Amino acid sequence: MNLAFANPRRFIAFARLAIPWVGGLGAVVAAVGFYGAFAVAPADYQQGETVRIMYIHVPAAWLSTACYGIMALSSIGTLVWRHPLADVSAKAMVPIGAAFTFLCLITGSLWGRPMWGTWWVWDARLTSVLILFLIYCGILALWNAYEDPARAGRAAAVMTLVGAINLPIVKFSVDWWNTLHQPASVFRMGGPTIDGSMLWPLLTVAIGLTLIMLALHMAAMCNEILRRRVRTLGLIAATTEARDFSA
Amino acid sequence: MMNDPHWGFILTAYFLGIWVLSGLLYWIVTDYRLQNKALAALEAAGAKRRSDGDLE
Repeated sequence: MNLAFANPRRFIAFARLAIPWVGGLGAVVAAVGFYGAFAVAPADYQQGETVRIMYIHVPAAWLSTACYGIMALSSIGTLVWRHPLADVSAKAMVPIGAAFTFLCLITGSLWGRPMWGTWWVWDARLTSVLILFLIYCGILALWNAYEDPARAGRAAAVMTLVGAINLPIVKFSVDWWNTLHQPASVFRMGGPTIDGSMLWPLLTVAIGLTLIMLALHMAAMCNEILRRRVRTLGLIAATTEARDFSA
Repeated sequence: MMNDPHWGFILTAYFLGIWVLSGLLYWIVTDYRLQNKALAALEAAGAKRRSDGDLE
């Protein structure tokens, strides 16, 4: 863990430089990926054009678990090292992770209706991703249930780490149970089963959206640092006012 | 693609993607403005921290 950015002021200075570059690069890379997805990649021989939903659904699914992974690492930083930015990072990631999980669920449903003939089925993959979304909502509620961010951070960190048990279930659900959802076709033993003409746009979009997610995360962290400064100054102002009043 | 019977599903998926990303961006920008405004108001009212070095 790099302690050079443990100071929030130093982190904000770094983030202000990095956010436009990381976000801009992410937008360009994602644009190249989407161009490949729509203009270069062929339609699927079975699914036809509907396969193009894959280029938004699959990166959203990867990011939904990646965001949670970052939250879990940040939570370890909160509970073990008490890193000053760890719970800031964890809190800033919750809405972003929830948004990508929501996008994964909705685009999956839009893909499932024409291909499976149903919007939803209670199979292991879909259910475990829905549980992931509900865990995000629960953590968001927990963050807002406490006045003191330090107490909220510890409670949310414990809940995040308990909820992390769902990550391997999401990943391996398609191997452990019989599911309507297809098994892994990119990150699997023996290499990807997707043709290269479809794989490169998929990976390019995923890299682009990952960079955008990181830029959004840094920006949300800056906001959270500012929010805590506002809270601290508000408490100081209220204390000073009360002292002046009693004197 | 428009000849495909399911193009409506494809377009909806991508519009939702744009909507979700725009929503995240809007939330971050408005939150940043809100916090800066509150900070400026407190500083204008004379609220100061003892340590000038750290933000938290």
